[in-house]
This record gives sequence, structure tokens and C-alpha cells, in this order.
Amino acid sequence: MKQTGLVFFPAFDWAISPTHPEREERLLYTRDQLFEEGIMDLPQIREYKSRMADKKDIARVHFCVPDIEAQITEAHLVSAGSSLVIADAVINKEVDNGFALVRPPGHHAMTVAHGNRGFCNINNEAIMIEYLRKKYGLRKIAIVDTDVHHGDGTQEIFWHDPDILFISFHQDGRTLYPGTGFVEELGGPLAHGTTINIPLPPHTTDAGIHYVLDNLVLPILDEFQPELIVNSAGQDNHYSDPLANMSFSAQGYAVLNEKLSPDIAVLEGGYSVETALPYVNMGIIMAMAGIDYSNLREPDYSPAQFKESPRNMEYIKKLVDTQLANFRGKDEVVKQNRKKYEQEYSYYKKIFYDTDGIHEEQSTRMRMCEQCAGYRIIQSTAQHPRWDLNRVFCLSVPTYGCPECQKQAQRIYQEMCENSINFNYIYLQDRVDDVYKCMDTVRRLETVL
Amino acid sequence: MLIGIDVGGTFTDGVLLDGKAIAATVKYPTDNDDLKTTLLNVLDRLLAGIDNQDIDRVVLSTTLVTNMLATDSVARTALLLLPGPGLPLDIYRLFADTYFLKGSIDFRGRKVEAMDRKEVEAAVADIHSQGINKIAIVGKFSNRNSELEKAVRKIVLDKFPSMEVAIGSETAGQLNYLRRIVTTYYSIMTKEAWDGFVREIETALLQRGITAVVDVLKADGGTMPLHLSQSKPCETVFSGPAASTMGAVALVMNPRNSVVVDIGGTTSDISLLIEGQPLYASKGASIKGHYTHINAFSVCSLALGGDSPVTINQDVVSVGSRRKGSAACLGGELPTVIDAFNHKHRLGIGNEAQSTAKLTWIVQNTGLEIETLCTEVENIVINRLQEAIQNMFQEWENEPAYRVWEVVHGRKFNVQEIIGIGAATGAIIPVLARKMGVDCIIPEYASVANALGACVARPTLALKVHIDTENGYFVLDQEGISGPIAAGRNMQMQDAQDLARQHLIEMAKVRGMTEYADEAEFYLQEQFNVIRGWSTAGKIFDIGVQISPGLIKEYQGVSR
Repeated sequence: MKQTGLVFFPAFDWAISPTHPEREERLLYTRDQLFEEGIMDLPQIREYKSRMADKKDIARVHFCVPDIEAQITEAHLVSAGSSLVIADAVINKEVDNGFALVRPPGHHAMTVAHGNRGFCNINNEAIMIEYLRKKYGLRKIAIVDTDVHHGDGTQEIFWHDPDILFISFHQDGRTLYPGTGFVEELGGPLAHGTTINIPLPPHTTDAGIHYVLDNLVLPILDEFQPELIVNSAGQDNHYSDPLANMSFSAQGYAVLNEKLSPDIAVLEGGYSVETALPYVNMGIIMAMAGIDYSNLREPDYSPAQFKESPRNMEYIKKLVDTQLANFRGKDEVVKQNRKKYEQEYSYYKKIFYDTDGIHEEQSTRMRMCEQCAGYRIIQSTAQHPRWDLNRVFCLSVPTYGCPECQKQAQRIYQEMCENSINFNYIYLQDRVDDVYKCMDTVRRLETVL
Repeated sequence: MLIGIDVGGTFTDGVLLDGKAIAATVKYPTDNDDLKTTLLNVLDRLLAGIDNQDIDRVVLSTTLVTNMLATDSVARTALLLLPGPGLPLDIYRLFADTYFLKGSIDFRGRKVEAMDRKEVEAAVADIHSQGINKIAIVGKFSNRNSELEKAVRKIVLDKFPSMEVAIGSETAGQLNYLRRIVTTYYSIMTKEAWDGFVREIETALLQRGITAVVDVLKADGGTMPLHLSQSKPCETVFSGPAASTMGAVALVMNPRNSVVVDIGGTTSDISLLIEGQPLYASKGASIKGHYTHINAFSVCSLALGGDSPVTINQDVVSVGSRRKGSAACLGGELPTVIDAFNHKHRLGIGNEAQSTAKLTWIVQNTGLEIETLCTEVENIVINRLQEAIQNMFQEWENEPAYRVWEVVHGRKFNVQEIIGIGAATGAIIPVLARKMGVDCIIPEYASVANALGACVARPTLALKVHIDTENGYFVLDQEGISGPIAAGRNMQMQDAQDLARQHLIEMAKVRGMTEYADEAEFYLQEQFNVIRGWSTAGKIFDIGVQISPGLIKEYQGVSR
């Protein structure tokens, strides 16, 4: 018999604002359904208590501006910490797999965090993955983002990491927040093809999503051979979700999780709190625990309700072929990129924080390293509506970074701390040594985690 | 004067309390085939030389229901279940004679699927044809809306008026369908036998001219009136450990963070007091491996007692779990745990020389010294107890929490004292306390703590109200009580609390425990706004209020 670890953390005393979709009520009916079913009493389920993540766990992923305290509440620490509880339980083989049924969510949070984007401040999955790498030495991990919204935060965090395969299927960005996640977004020059986006037309049904799963996601996972599969488990593809327009069912979610067989699932979005979440959450748990879910259905569901149109199906098939080819050709592209960019790769972008109304401008330079994924320098400027303009300088050394990249990044950090007057804060994220520094250049105050 | 009687598996203990004085104690072997006679024998011994009119209260703690369920000496009972969608039906097929019916309710108490009259009639006809006359009817979310359960009951009783029926919503109204099924099933299964026992006891007391209040002890360490216990026989399971724990509370009077260790001849029961309050089992009492909705103390039972035999096999010392007789110092054939402690610490229990002699006898022809043997036995016993205690702390500290502040503030059990009760406690507990570096309390009368606990336990009552203002109703988790409330968003937390408290006061009145009603406290106060679109459509409240376990007001401690 399989056993599934579960952390249920509904954060009944936390909300973004009283009427915001991310509010106390969100997992209330899920609580009612799970508790009434008595699923936690079954031998297939082992319930764990949440815990708080350490600040260091967050610093391993994010540059929080100006500091971690400014970006999070205790609820964020517990939500992130709950994922770590599950991660430990799975890696230590106390359970076969695990589900962190937690809020607040995280998959829109990016490396540099000036505020809340898409209901997210810090990225629970990314924090969990870097924790697993540091603590247990895992390297190759696959994330399948099944939220209806493009997991742009997770994508951005692992954009340059060839060891993290990020697959996101979502409602087409031309029709839904955050407006990204197109086919052409395939990852940085050295990690090309380890980001795979599958933008689906509105009203895609169980059949469409399962086609993508069977013919693209599962084959890619098979070829990538990750040590761990993570489901970034949004529930807003559901036909009753108020913020999106897809036609996925609780049964559909259960089948998806059975086929995907993730080692760890972490709850993301899903705001049909009453008509979808209780059933979808049951479906995910049952599928992960190997419990027959054929008796699970929404009160208003009938199997014949939603049918994939032939036109949609044709589009999806083409999409799948394109992305399969992109994935399989990735090594060749990386080889070409090495020639093309030689020493350094750089780019510029703007980021909007919808929840907090922040505009950020970012430029990134990355060392095209022969030995590792290369260290990055991110310069970021953001105008916060309530705070002053923040200009920050961030250095990030990859987890499996080489000594040369680490040395260079450390040297630049020292130089910047001594000389810079252009930035309020200088950060060094040295994941090799697991040391995280921040210099407040105005007060000349350094904090080290 | 007050009487407490605790019927245990081996012995039945009784105390007579007169003011602050323990006027009489009785220890009498239990006849498990005739608990009534055992009980009355103990009662009569306590009453010897006393005017029965002077008795103000009698509290009984009995293993009747526990024994019936443990030995399967129960009547065949059928289950009519309305599970609706969700987990596979097989998971709810816990017992034989289970029938599944159409009809379902959702978490907001809305009827999603109607029941099928014909299907119910066919099922009940089948049940009747098999000679079964007890039925438990249990629906998923029936605690939010009991309409379907009641409709099925009506069909059953219209057809077979003599059928004994219990419905889930009136038996166990908390969330958790699995536990509701088990609780309702065991309740109706044992009701007839329990009712018979109650009638016999009532008659016997009447014959003795006792007109006092008669209460029974529940698993939650509180009492309920005997005459009101008839619909709730299952609440009397595991009242024995509850009696012991309450006895520790009564004897110590002001317990802190304490571990109560009751070491008997063959078993040790461990329970925890957190700031003096007994800790409950988070999943309810577990009967034959099934969780229930019966509130019970969290008790860890070890098959380890003062009479556990000490053996040596190829120079390896072990402590057996099966009692083979009393300790050597008390005339037994084989050395036991008591003998090892007796010899090592010069306790002078019984004939201490016999302890030494028997221990010397078993180390003969082995490579062991008697002192090594005693040290090893002590280590085994102390380590097992300590490990069990640590596990209990850890389980409590690691219980899931659903609010930010609960996780942030965490839980840490800092044990301050060990309270030892039971026959073998004096030899073992001081060593355990020393090892754990905490205070050790072994009260006088520790050997009848259980009977005293029953004697002075106060009545308890806990209820939870679920209020849904959008749908305009409230439900209680007790006795299937529900009703309408004014719809809309005007209800405030204070109104919800008032509603809960009002129901508690009314139920307390019926149970003759009004004097404790004003000590009721809220243990759960949840409020959720129901937002649809961007506006508030209503509120959902979950309010829990309880009269916690404690001691009766008359009790002022025991004088020495």
C-alpha cells in the first residue's frame, strides 16, 4: 500500500484582504470535505504538522527588497515551511509521496522580490527545490506547473538552470494573467529546452489536457530522467473557476496526478473555493495515495458536459509536436549558444507587480561558464507606491556553481560594497557555500544569513 | 457522603468519601461475567454501617461496554449508509451487514441527491429477513442536514416499528463520516444491553433505599446522569483510565504539566496533564482499531507492570509482558519487576529477602551478577516508560495546526512532575522521575485513585455550533439539534457565542449540571466571511463551548 504525506495548512487567520480571492475562506470547504470524508484517518494518509521555513531557505532563492521581513508575513514562512516538511518526509522515505495543501501560494514570485505578484510573495516550490539540493544533494528535478496561470515566477527562477526541467501548461497568455508562457520561452542560453510552455486555448477539457500529458509531458519526463517530480498544483483549470476559462474536472485532476505520479505536489492557485477545491483536492490526494477515485465527482458534473472541439484538439496536437521537437533539439541549441554569446549573455526586462502596483526594471548579465550554469548579476530598480525608489545589485552563484564563478561573484560583491553609491542594497547569493549577504549601502550595514 | 466505584478488568475499587476523609475503601476481584453483582458487592461493603440516606452521589465507572465490544458479545447490527460521492464505498464497508443507499448532502448542508424510497424498503426488508433488529443509519454530512437520515428512519420504523434505530446526526454530529459510522454503529449495538444494566442498577439502588444522584463516568473524565446515559452507552468506554487520571488530579489538587503513570500488575497507563488539564486523544477513542467521535483522554498503555516476570536467556535479561503471578516478595514463584526494584533500592516491600532469593536463583549458572541483573531490569523498565512518555509529548507537539499563530507559537511540553498511582508505582516512579529530572509525587491513597477519581469527577458537556447565515441555519453536534436563524450578514461573533452558550445552558439544565454552566468556556471560535463575487453573502461560524473535566465543587481534598 502506498502512503501519502499531507500537510494541510489552510491559514484560517490570514488573507491578502477581506474580499480578496486569497482569503481565510479559501480552504474552508476543502477542510469540511477532507475532514468529513475522514481521509486523514486512513492508513494511506499520514498527516504532518506545518512548520516555519528559515529565512535562509528564502534567501537561497530570492533577493527580497529591502529584506525578507519586508516581503513576507508569518503565513508565508509557514506555507513555505510546510513544503519543506513534505520534502523531508518524502526524501527520508517516511512516505511514498506528499502533498503540501497550503496557502498562501508562490509560483508567480520571481528571483527579485519587490512585492506581491499574482497573490505570491515568495516561491514555495523554488524554496523547496533549493532546500532539497542543499540538504540532500539532489540535482535534477522536474516541475510540472498545472495551474491555469503561467508559472512565470518559477520559470524565471530556473530559467538558466539546465538541471531543472520546468513544464507549465496553462490558459494561453493572450487571454489570461500573467500574459506570458508562450512556446518560444524555452529557457536561457545554457538551459535552452528545459523550460517548456504549453499555452492552451480557453475551454480546454480533460481530453485536451490528458493528450498533452500523454504525448508531451510524460515522454519528456521519461527522457529527462529527473530525480524528483514536483507538481505545482493549481486547481484553477476547473470549469467553475471564477478567474479563468478552462473546462477541467475533479476526475480530470485525479487522472492527471495518477499519470504524472509526482513525488511532491504543492498547492498553487484555484479560487473556486466552494464548487471546485473540495473535490479537486480530494481527487489529488486520492490519486497520489492510490485510492480509487471513481466515486468522486462535483455535484453538478456530468461526464458528457464538456467535449473538446476538433479544432482545439488539432491545435493542441501541433503544439505538442512543436514542443517535443524543441525539447529534443535542446542540446544542439545550447552548443550554438555557447559559440554565439562567448563570454557573457545579457538582457533587459520590465516586470509589473499586479497586486502591489510596482513597476520594476531589470537588467541581467550572466557569465557563459564552461563549468557551470554561470553566475548572474541582476540590477533592479523598482518604484514602490508606498516606499522610495529602490535600486539593488544582486549576485547569484548557482547551487552547483564552479569555484571560478563563485570567486568572481564574491570579488564583485566586495568591490560593490566598497565603492558603489548607485545602489541602496548589494546582495550576494552564494549557494555554493550557502551564505547570503546583504549590504545596506546607506547605513553601511551588512547582514549575513 | 460520596461513593465512587471503578470496575476494572481484574479488580473493582470503591471509595466512600465523607467530607475530607476517605471513610472506606474496597478492593474486590471483578467477575467479568457478572459486573452488576461485582458492583453491588463493592457498594454493599462501602455502605456497611452507614445510613444509605446520607449518600449524596454515586458515580460508577464500568467496563461493561468495553468488554462487550472487545469480546464481540453483541447483537448483530445493520448499517444503512448514505455516503454520496467521494471516497470509494469500500472504505466505508467497515462491518458486515452494510447497505449503501442513494441520497447525498454537501458540506453546506444542501441536498445534492434525493434518496430512493424503494431502495430503502428493499434494504430494510432484507435486514429484517435476516433476523437483525438493530440499524444504524448514517449519511455523509448528515451533521449539516439530517433530513435524509430522518426520512430513512421514518421508512424503517413505518415498516418495522420494533426495529431499534440510531441515526448519525443524533449520535455524533462532528465532522468525520468514518468516525460517525463507527460511533453510531457501536452505540445502537450496545444500547439494549446497557439499558438493561442501567435498569438493574437503578432497581438495586432503589432496593437499598439510595435516592442519591447516580452518575456514570465517561471516557472524557466527566460524568453524566445514569438515566440519561441510555442513548450514549459508548461514552462509557475507557472510563477506567479516565478515572485514574481524574484520581491523580483529585489527589494532587493543583497539578501542573504532569505525567500521570498508573502502574498496575500487568500494565502501565500513561496520561498527560497540561497545566492541570487532561490531554484528549486528538482522533477520539479508538475502539477495535476504529476511530470514533467519543472524547477520550489520550492514554498510552504498555504491557509492563510490577508483576511482569524477569527472565534470563543466554545472559540476555528480558522483562516479559505476560503476568505469571505476583512478585516473589509477595509470595510469587518467579521474580518480577517489583523484586528487582525491591532488591536494588532496599524498598522493603513484602518479604524483601524473597526478592533477593529468587533473583539469586535465576542468575545461577549464568554469567550475570544479581546487581547487574537488577540494573538491567531497571533500565529496561525505565527506558520503556520514558520512551512512551517522550512519544506522547512528541505526538502532542506535532499535532497538525491550521492557523498561523498556532504554528508560529508552537507547542512544547515541559514536564514538571510525574504523578504515580496504582499498586506498583512506589517502587518504579521515583527512579523514573530521577532519571527525567522532574518532581515525583506519589499521593497517599494512590492505590484507589481510580475510584476517587470517579467519585469526585464533575459532569462535562461539550458542544459545537455550526452557523451558516447565507443559508440561514445552525446545527449542533449534539443530539441532532438544528434550527433556522435570520439570514444575512448581521450576525456577529458575540451573537454566535450567545447562541452556543444558550444551548449549553439548556442542555446543562436537562442534565442537572446547571451549577457548572457558568464555568463553560469557548474552545473554538471561527468566523468566515462567505464572499461571492466581491461582496459578503453571509458568514460561517464554528463555535465550540465546553464544561471541561474537573472536580466537583464539594470536593476539598483528602485529609491525611
